[in-house]
This record gives sequence, C-alpha cells and structure tokens, in this order.
Amino acid sequence: MTKKIAFWIFLIGTLSSTLLFLGLTWDTQRQVATLSHVDKLSDQVVAGKRAFEKYNCNDCHTILGFGGYYAPDLTKVVQRVGEEGIRYRVKSPELAFANSFRKMPNLHVTDQETTDLIAFFSWVGEINNNDWPPQDSKKRLSRGEQMMVAKVGVSPGAAVFQTKGCMNCHSLRGTGGTFGPALDKVGARKTAEEIEKYVQNPKGGNPKAMMPSQKDNLSERELDEVARFLATLK
Amino acid sequence: MEYRSQKIAYWYFAAALPLFVLQILVGLWLAANYTFTIPQSIVNVFPFSTARAIHTNLLVLWMLLGFMGGTYYIIPEETKSELYSTGLAWFQLIALLATGVTAIVGFLFGWTQGRPLLEIPMALDFVVVIGALVFLFNVGMTMFKARNWTVIQGTLLGGLVFLALLYLFGIPFYRNVVIDWYYWWWVIHLWVEGSWELVTAAIFAFILMKITGVERQVVEKWLYVEIGLFLFTGMVGTGHHYYWIGAPRYWLWFGGFFSALEPLPILLMLFDTMHHVKERKAKIINPLTWTYAIGCAVIHLIGAGVWGFLHTLPQINYYTHGSQVTVSHGHLAFFGAYALLNLMTFYYAMPKLKGIAVYDDRRGKIGFWTMCSAMMIMGLTFGVAGVLQSYIERVLGMGYMVAQGYMRLWMGVTMTAGFFFLAGLLTTVVDLFTLRPAKCINS
Repeated sequence: MTKKIAFWIFLIGTLSSTLLFLGLTWDTQRQVATLSHVDKLSDQVVAGKRAFEKYNCNDCHTILGFGGYYAPDLTKVVQRVGEEGIRYRVKSPELAFANSFRKMPNLHVTDQETTDLIAFFSWVGEINNNDWPPQDSKKRLSRGEQMMVAKVGVSPGAAVFQTKGCMNCHSLRGTGGTFGPALDKVGARKTAEEIEKYVQNPKGGNPKAMMPSQKDNLSERELDEVARFLATLK
Repeated sequence: MEYRSQKIAYWYFAAALPLFVLQILVGLWLAANYTFTIPQSIVNVFPFSTARAIHTNLLVLWMLLGFMGGTYYIIPEETKSELYSTGLAWFQLIALLATGVTAIVGFLFGWTQGRPLLEIPMALDFVVVIGALVFLFNVGMTMFKARNWTVIQGTLLGGLVFLALLYLFGIPFYRNVVIDWYYWWWVIHLWVEGSWELVTAAIFAFILMKITGVERQVVEKWLYVEIGLFLFTGMVGTGHHYYWIGAPRYWLWFGGFFSALEPLPILLMLFDTMHHVKERKAKIINPLTWTYAIGCAVIHLIGAGVWGFLHTLPQINYYTHGSQVTVSHGHLAFFGAYALLNLMTFYYAMPKLKGIAVYDDRRGKIGFWTMCSAMMIMGLTFGVAGVLQSYIERVLGMGYMVAQGYMRLWMGVTMTAGFFFLAGLLTTVVDLFTLRPAKCINS
C-alpha cells in the first residue's frame, strides 16, 4: 500500500461516514417530533427541565440512562412512585431516606419547581424510546417473572413481588427498600382480598398512605397472585 | 528541545499534573459515597452530584491542557520553526486555568448548567471558546507561516479545529430533552471517538517516529489509515448512544453495526506500534517512554475497544445501559487512551525540556505499573458491580437499592484500588517534576 492509497482510504472513509451521519441526523430531527410527542412539550415541561438542570439532578440520577449512576433512573419515575412520591422525596429527603444507606440532598426546591419537575418527568416518561428501561417494560418484565418461577422455583406471587418493583419500597427478610413497611408478617394483619383492594387503591384503605396505586402496573392475574402470596406471610 | 518556544509546553504539563491528582482525590470521595453512608448534613452541602461534576471536569481540563502542551511541543519540531507567539500561548494557558478553577469553585456554590460533563455555565463557555480560538490561531499561524506541511500537522490541526467546533453544540439550552441528548453526544462521543482520537493519533505518531526512528513515510501512511478508520466507524458509531433516547429505531442497526467496527482502528494502532518498535532504526534510549507507548496502545484497546464492543450491541446494551458497566468502560478507556497518552507525552518531552538525555526511570516504572494494575482492577470491580446491577435491577427487576446493596462490597474494593492508583500517580507526578539523569553504571 502506498501513501496515496492510504490517503484515499482516509478521505473516502471519513466522507462516507460523515455524509451518512448528517443524513440520519436530518431524518432524526424530523422524526423526534412524533417520537417525543412535541405537541405535549409545554412551557411547564420546559420549566421543569430548567429546574432539573438548575439543581444538577442529572449528576446523581440518570434520565434516559444518561448522567450519574448514584441514584435511580428517572425516565419512568412518575409511573414508578407517582406524583406524590416525587413531591415527598424532593421536599423532605431527610425523612424519605432516613432508613436508606444512601441519602438525597435537601436542595430547597420550591413547590412551583417541583410541580414543573413532575410535568417534565411525566412528559419524558411518554417518550417512545424502544421500551427502555427493561425493569419498567410491560412486555419484558413478564419474562423475568417466568424465569424466576421456572429457575428459582418461587411461587408466581413471589415472582410478581420481586419483578414488579414492589421491592423498590418494601422489603422481605431485610432485602428491599425502606420507604414502605417491611412485609414479612403482612399476612397476619390482612387477608388476600384486603391486600388486593389496598394495592389497587391505597388511599381508600389509609388516607395518609404514600403508596401509589398499582392498578396500571399490575394485571388482574398478577394482582391476584401477589395478594395470595403476601397473605401467606405470617 | 530544538526550539526555544517549545519551553511553554512545560508549563502546560506542570498545570495539568496537579489537576490530575485533584481529580483522583475527588474520585476517591465518590467511591466512598458508594461504599459508606454519608450523613445527611454533609450530603446537603456537598452532594455526590457536585463531586462528580468536579471529577469529570477536572479530567477534561487536565487532558486538554496536556494535549495543548503536547501540541506546542510538537509543532515547532514538525514545522521547523518557532511558535507564532509564546505570549498568546501564555495568555491562553492562564485563561483556561482561570476558567477551570472558577468553574470548579462555582460548582461548590451551585453555579452550573446542570448537564452532565457540560456543567460549565454559559458565561464561562464563551471564555473557553475564546481560549480555543486563540490556541487554534496560534497553532495555525505557526503552520501557515512555516509552510512545512506534514500529515502529522494536518491531523493535529484538523483534530483541534473539529474539537473546538463540536464544543459549540454543547452550549445552547435545548427545550426537547431528546434533541438535547442527541447533540450532547456530538460533544462527548465525537470528542472522544473523533477529534481526541485524531489529536492522539497525531501525537502518538510523532513520538513513535522520534523514538523508533522509523521513516516518516511509513508512520504517516499508517496514520492516514488509522484516522480514516477512526472517523469511518466513529461518526455513525455515535448511534450506539441513540438506542434508548427516543430517536428512530434504525439507530439500533446503524449504531450496532458501526460501533462493532470501532475496535479496528485501535487494533491497527497496536499492531503498527508493535511493528515500528520491532523495525526500529534507532536505539531506544529511554525504555520507560516506550513502555508508556505500548501500555497506552494495549489499555486503549482493552478499555475502549474490547469493553466498548462488549456493551454496544443493542441486545446487551438494553440491560447494561446507564449502569456501572458504563463506568467500567469509561475508566479503562479514558485511562488507556488519553491519560497514558498524556503521560507518555510528558515522559517524552519533560526530559528534553530539562536537557536530560537519559533519565533515571526507576521511580517512573513503579508509578506506571502501580497505576496500570490499580486501574485494571478498578475496571474489573466496576464491571462486576455493573453486571450485578444489570442482572438484579434490569433483568430480575428487584429495584435499584436492592441491587446497590449487593454492589456495595465491589465499590469498596474499587475504592481500595483507587488508593493504590493515587499512590502510583503521586509517584509518577513527583518523578516527572524531579527527573534526574540516569547514572550510567555500565558505561
């Protein structure tokens, strides 16, 4: 190979890839409007994005998987913990994370900013992003569930409990979150029917409950299985 | 040192090294945040986010200073002329340092643009742009006046212009978060897999040519092929960051395909380094400098090439995206490709700037091997933590903090390795600042 051939390899390689990249960029710009629902991108959502940047949230949390890995991804945070859950964590992190081995700073975010943040997160959660993250995917989670039942030999209800994010807040035998109460003995307090009702509408059972309704998170079968499993814990 | 104006490079290196040490100290604090429970009162005033912003911005700052110093060292020898202006080089060094220090102090008080790695507020961005323009002007004028064009010069200048242009895409505020991330990667990805690779390839080719005595024609021929492959795979390869952001689905194909090819230029770089060392015409005078060259090529390939390849396939990335697997890749790749490149440049240029022909490299060797071993261990332990996270959180869906609980041990091991890294780095920095001529026992 001569230096001249090497030069042509450089030139053609660079130009072809650059042109393809710019072409795809042009097309992406065009399609993002639909994929991200730009019609719903209100001024409040933008204000939320500004608040998100003002407090540098993104250097602890990821969003769409980018940012700091120190705290949970926020792409689907509204679906996960609900608006009230967000408000509680932002407003009083010292209470929300009192039992957690990792803390969140109290940055004195104003109420208006918190409302804007929630609008921002709600909009982000609707972006059509090829069903990421997997743990929030409706399609793929049932796969994790099946795997647990098949491989680990747990009951279907236990599999639902582990794969549907219950453990983000609740714990069993010391494993799991610290937001909600530990559920090791929940069966002694509630029957399967009561649990099922409570999970669908926590506020109905206890007006002060922080737990978001799981109506959209769980199918009827899953709800039934998880309630029956929890009722056996005495 | 053949030209007086090369001396300015020393001050760029001298500014870069302490910043590197500071970066590692903050890194240790970050690891401690993962390992221990930091009390709420400390978290409120000095959260992880602030420390992370400092850690990453220091990285960019010291590496850019290193590249600039390296450029100022190389340009006079390549163009066979003095620099256009050492005054401008001084001005730009001070401007960049002042901006960096202001930015980092600003982070402590919450003055930030709030976008990861691009936290520097807009007002300071403009100072950076002015500094970059002055730098390009100075380098460009030196080259244009000398009219001794070489491929190494062209690559260097091209890489630096590209670097400055891309920075502009990180400055504005984007309303749509999808578009925001789309162009954020023009800065981050096209820097590290585009313009920085060009600068690196040019500096690497220059030093290799000097220490092995292989003919310019041969070195420059391979340089063309390497940068061609870097840009061919790297441009569309940006697509591996567009899988899950709300961009069209075809990015899974384009990103997956082109980034699977990204290890090729790095592999080629390793092969031709080995080849040049084997076919060398000159006696290798300072073995440590070429230990650095080979270390750089090898860890560059492992960290950027292999680790990058492992998790850019969409099927894998779906589970590993945004986990500690990314952190493992980031640390190995940056260390291998850019930290070692800079240190190699320092070890090449510093003795010459001090007028030492053969330097005593006993301490330097200890530093090199300590840093490389510690970083390899960190790469592995971050990787273990990342795989645990991907499986527990993403595959099993057991929740973020459940996964973090299992990962804690591994982050502790990472922190321990980090202390060894710091020890290796301090040895290296002290060695570089106090280089002595070797006592020739045998001669």
